Amino acid sequence: MAHARISMYLPPDINPTQAAIAYGCRALPKLNTELQSEDLLTRQKALMALCDLMHDPEHVYVAIDIGCLESLKALLKDANNMVRIKATEVLYIMATHNVGREGFLKHDIIVALSFLLNDPQIACRENVHLAFKHLAQLPSGAQGIVISGLIPLLVWKLQKEEEKIQELLLDTLAACLVEDATEALNSRVVPFLKEKLLSDNDNIRSKAAYTLMAVSIPLEGKKQVRKFDVIPILVHLLKDPVEEVQANAAGALMYATVTTAGKYAALDAEAIHPLLNMLKSTLRKARLNAIKALTMLAEAPEGRKILQIYVPRFRDLEVDTSEAEQRAAQIAVKTIEWKP
Amino acid sequence: VASMFTNHASRPAGTYTYTSRPRPLPCQRRRYRDSLTQPAEEPMQYGNIMYDRRVIRGNTYALQTAPLLFDFDLEVRPMLEVLVGKTIEQSLLEVMEEEELANLRISQFVYEELYNIELAEIQRLEEQERRHREEKERRKQQQWDTVHKHSETSQKIAARAFAQWYLADLLPSVFGSLRDGGYFFDPIERDIEIGFLPWLMNEVDKTMEYTMVGRTVLDMLIREVIERRLTMYEHNEKRQPPKPESGLGGPGAMRDPLVGYEFPEQNASQSQRSLPDRDPLQRTLYDESYIEKMSPQERMLMEEEDEEIEMKKFSGREELSQ
Repeated sequence: MAHARISMYLPPDINPTQAAIAYGCRALPKLNTELQSEDLLTRQKALMALCDLMHDPEHVYVAIDIGCLESLKALLKDANNMVRIKATEVLYIMATHNVGREGFLKHDIIVALSFLLNDPQIACRENVHLAFKHLAQLPSGAQGIVISGLIPLLVWKLQKEEEKIQELLLDTLAACLVEDATEALNSRVVPFLKEKLLSDNDNIRSKAAYTLMAVSIPLEGKKQVRKFDVIPILVHLLKDPVEEVQANAAGALMYATVTTAGKYAALDAEAIHPLLNMLKSTLRKARLNAIKALTMLAEAPEGRKILQIYVPRFRDLEVDTSEAEQRAAQIAVKTIEWKP
Repeated sequence: VASMFTNHASRPAGTYTYTSRPRPLPCQRRRYRDSLTQPAEEPMQYGNIMYDRRVIRGNTYALQTAPLLFDFDLEVRPMLEVLVGKTIEQSLLEVMEEEELANLRISQFVYEELYNIELAEIQRLEEQERRHREEKERRKQQQWDTVHKHSETSQKIAARAFAQWYLADLLPSVFGSLRDGGYFFDPIERDIEIGFLPWLMNEVDKTMEYTMVGRTVLDMLIREVIERRLTMYEHNEKRQPPKPESGLGGPGAMRDPLVGYEFPEQNASQSQRSLPDRDPLQRTLYDESYIEKMSPQERMLMEEEDEEIEMKKFSGREELSQ
């Protein structure tokens, strides 16, 4: 049997970079006061501890309740790099929880974060973009970003930043564009996205195609897509080796071909055959988008003429797939066989 | 993983619980005078239990010579269970959390796909509807235009026919009215009408007037002569009172017509009518006798004088009559 030898020494400090966390409900208030202290080291240690604590949603709620966000906002303007990086990391972790997002919107964190978009430290910027990305998943969060006028700045950043951050930016923009696309369209987002479609990075291509899909939902977006001749590039992407890129490109085409001008542009760019190939794809999203895009093209007389030969393929799809695909395939068949 | 370490810092000093990290016991000075172990032992108290002889572990092949402190394997089991169990539990929780997140994300994507598809379908139907409606509008407009043109054309034709008929009648009537209005005239005729005929009438008038004047003058002349004859005759009668009464009677009878002759002369306008009535009577009576006596020259002179006198008398009579 072991004898409990009680040592006189304190247990060694496992992580000297972290502040000591108080027990129970005293943890967060103590950390809050430490955040506001004058000493740099205290602040840094408190931030590190806070990072770890914020994974728990209950702690997030308590933290926001006691006003940690105000202290964090003050810390965002701190001169020390480490402080800023850690503060943005805390905010990003908070943004992954819904409580955190709502707190962001209430305490106006977006504006404070936007000042850091030009920060020299890349880690800091990455965290800021991560925070924005998670915030944009919430519809009211996306609206908050749009209202604070950040969209033109983000679009402009798309040109300047590195690839990692570009991916995050594209995700954020895609979510925001679904909310309100007018500002983005005014700030020339379509030409930028057109360039990104041709980049080498697979992720960037697929995300750019996805963002284009979000852009071409409103009518103004469709017109701009047509104007900037993006449709031939999208058709080219339909033959891309990466399935995700194909699926997103088909989605973008699906929305862009709703207008008559878009339809004829796509027909001119020979979009039908790649789309037909995609019907056999493994990704469900790719199949669905391809069916829809073909339905759009079948409304034009030329499209209908070509597609009438391929009606049996749609009938196959009708039979052995999920409900959404069955419905989509039925609609496609109906459109192809319509007589004026 | 950090949540494992939440509660380890602020315990009272020296406690060693199951959440504490394993650490090597520092070699301490003796706290107790007597150790519970046998005195004849190696000075290795509270050292590393891994090297402590008194602890039996699985890999000690030595015989159990010294009194055992504890069997390592037995004692370590619960501790290990707790340790490993906690670790595994924590890691399972985290993995499950990540799995849950991944599932959420998958369902989110599926929902997003469906949403996109539905949205695309809605837009397509809207577009179709809009196209159909525009087509209908255009066709209606076209039809309306055609009907409008038809009616306009028929109206134009009707108007043209009517105008032609109207105008066809117009021309002769216009010419007729113009001709009636006297706008077409022969210039020579007109000239004759305007210039010649008035002049002619004027001249005729003048000539007639001369004739009238001449006659009047002649009448006056005759009258003057007759009056002079009368006075002469009366002179003669006074000188030759015994004359045949027929002769008197004749002049007396003639006197009466003369007297009767004077009164109607009050009306100069009627006098000219009466003059021609009287003239032949008096002429037949007096001209023969008187004209014989007078010579033509005397006659001319007398005529001229009488003209002047009679003109004055004539005008005076006219004034009287008026």
